[in-house]
Amino acid sequence: MSQVLVIEDDETTAREIVAELSAHGMHAEWVANGRDGLAHATQRDYDLITLDRMLPGMDGIDVVAELRRAGRDTPVLMISALSDVDERVRGLRAGGDDYLTKPFAPDEMAARAEVLLRRRQPQAAVVQRLRVADLELDLVSHVAYRGGQPLTLLPTEYRLLEFLMRNSGQVLTRTMIFETVWGFHFDPGTNVIDVHIARLRRKIDGAGQPALIHTVRGTGYMIAAANETAPVVS
Amino acid sequence: MNARPNSWHSTTSRLILIYGSLFVVWGAVLVGVIQWETTSYLNKVIDQMLQQRMHYIASTEPSRLATTVDNAAAIDPHGIMSVGLFDKDHQPVAGNIDHLPTSLLRDGQVHLLRHGLPRPDRDAERVRARGLATTLPNGDILVIAKDISTIDGIGAIIRRALLWGISLTIIPGLLGGFLLRRGPERRIRELQEATDPIRQGDLSKRLPVSRRGDELDQLAGIVNTMLGEIERLMNEVKGVSDNIAHDLRTPLTRLRARLYRTQQQLEGEPEAALVDSCIVDIDEVLTRFRALLRVSELEDRHRAACFDNVDVGQVLRQVHEFYAPVAEDRGQAFDLDIQPLQPVRADAHLLFEALANLVGNAIKFTPAGGKVSLRASMDKRGPRVDVIDSGPGIPSGERDAVTRRFYRGDNSRTTGGTGLGLSIVSAIVRLHGYALDIGETGSNGARLTVYCYALGPDDKVGTCLTRSVPEVTPAIV
Repeated sequence: MSQVLVIEDDETTAREIVAELSAHGMHAEWVANGRDGLAHATQRDYDLITLDRMLPGMDGIDVVAELRRAGRDTPVLMISALSDVDERVRGLRAGGDDYLTKPFAPDEMAARAEVLLRRRQPQAAVVQRLRVADLELDLVSHVAYRGGQPLTLLPTEYRLLEFLMRNSGQVLTRTMIFETVWGFHFDPGTNVIDVHIARLRRKIDGAGQPALIHTVRGTGYMIAAANETAPVVS
Repeated sequence: MNARPNSWHSTTSRLILIYGSLFVVWGAVLVGVIQWETTSYLNKVIDQMLQQRMHYIASTEPSRLATTVDNAAAIDPHGIMSVGLFDKDHQPVAGNIDHLPTSLLRDGQVHLLRHGLPRPDRDAERVRARGLATTLPNGDILVIAKDISTIDGIGAIIRRALLWGISLTIIPGLLGGFLLRRGPERRIRELQEATDPIRQGDLSKRLPVSRRGDELDQLAGIVNTMLGEIERLMNEVKGVSDNIAHDLRTPLTRLRARLYRTQQQLEGEPEAALVDSCIVDIDEVLTRFRALLRVSELEDRHRAACFDNVDVGQVLRQVHEFYAPVAEDRGQAFDLDIQPLQPVRADAHLLFEALANLVGNAIKFTPAGGKVSLRASMDKRGPRVDVIDSGPGIPSGERDAVTRRFYRGDNSRTTGGTGLGLSIVSAIVRLHGYALDIGETGSNGARLTVYCYALGPDDKVGTCLTRSVPEVTPAIV
């Protein structure tokens, strides 16, 4: 079970985070201020830290910066009411691994936490090919194959498929997809991501083939075979 | 953005010109009076001289009169004082006047000779002269005249003195005025520069006030007081919606979390659909709150930490690539036309966000099978981006209102969205110091233009939707 440290001064928000992480099979521990949070984070080995940006006693930016100076590479998900790009850049430059803006949907937060946890798992030295069921993605030649047949993908579709396959079995929200594939941090506010996924789906899940791209109602998308929850690295 | 004041329209310049004109007129009147008085006095002196000379010669014995006249003429070879004796038939008898001046009354009074007198020493050049004629008892006519060009010379000297005096007064006056004018002009320019950020929407700025406490400072103080009050009221108005968004954000987030957990527990149950629709509704509300807070955040942001040289064309290609599938799904033609552009100072993320909002709106409001065009070209001072569609357009009466928070025009009441897209665009445009303009195409579709530079006072377009452009963009067929 993954150990998560929740550093959050608002008790209600902290309870929601802990409840959501627990529902996703993680053990979450709550600390209400920056100094205690930094002490816990440096003394114990957590798999993930969710860190509020504005904390009493010690600011979230200072906490993550101190943590990195102490040589701790624990993934940090920063949670902040400050959604400005400058603030996001500050948070990530200080050592944060991801940045979530309040108000957030708990499933969005959990999805980001799971992606960060997965990123921490040991990977093969050089990943050359991702595989989900009979879908393969050659990261060297940038060609996708389904059932051994090459697929014609546009550059965006390739990046989208790569992000899905690198996180196969993992729910990815529309915001996460938009931020990672397109690199922008705002709410597009339309169904644009759905349209891009639908186009990719038409190319990947052809007629008569089992669907690999799944819609997770109310949350986002996931690529997975029925019996597979993690990408096969070869 | 402000028009630079015309130096010659300044109060100081006007005062200098008015005072200078009055001085010139007064100087001319003064010199005119002096000249008139001097001329009158000298004419009187000459008249008395002529009268005395006439009295002396006329009282000479008739037998010696011709000799006396010749002697008088001989002692004046230049003809300054001319004397002439004529018989009854107006024939010259003695003296140095060849012809009897016919216009000269023989009344013994001094008159100005209408045709002047010839000066023997100047090749018989006629000069102005005053003279008198009298008929002697024997019927002869005695004429005495005097060249008065000396008096004219004195008048010319006085006029030259006036010109020199005026020149020596006016030129230093103008120079002094120019130097005096520079101070107020510099302060006006400072005030003008200080108003730029205020007009861009930064109500926290104030006009500079010096220690002089003069009229400009008093005016700046009044304006600063007004700005303070406007800022307070604006913040109060904005704070209401922001506070609502902030205060409702946490309970709505909690509600969303509980609904989500309920949804997980009701998986497969008949009530699950109801919870699903509740989550959709809550998500829509949260999206609107996020957008509302985003607008406030952009409006409050005065830093440019993420500004860099940005290739607008590259941003447009990204926007086009992002929305092309959406347009394709709606059966819309979506073309991209990028002319060579110079880079701009911008936050690439925010620029993408603004242009994506404009394109998203164009696609949303254009009917299936319509056309959306994304064009970029170099304008007078920088790149301009046009988002043109063949949709219903934005009525001219609504163009000023569409950037207001939550405003929905007649054409958008039934469409989705937060009603804040153009508010976000407007805030980003203002943050960059750019301009946004709403117009129409020949086919009544909408044309939204982002000028990636600050518009000048002579640019005939609306800034940040203050007015629309009457120009007609080629219709999209």
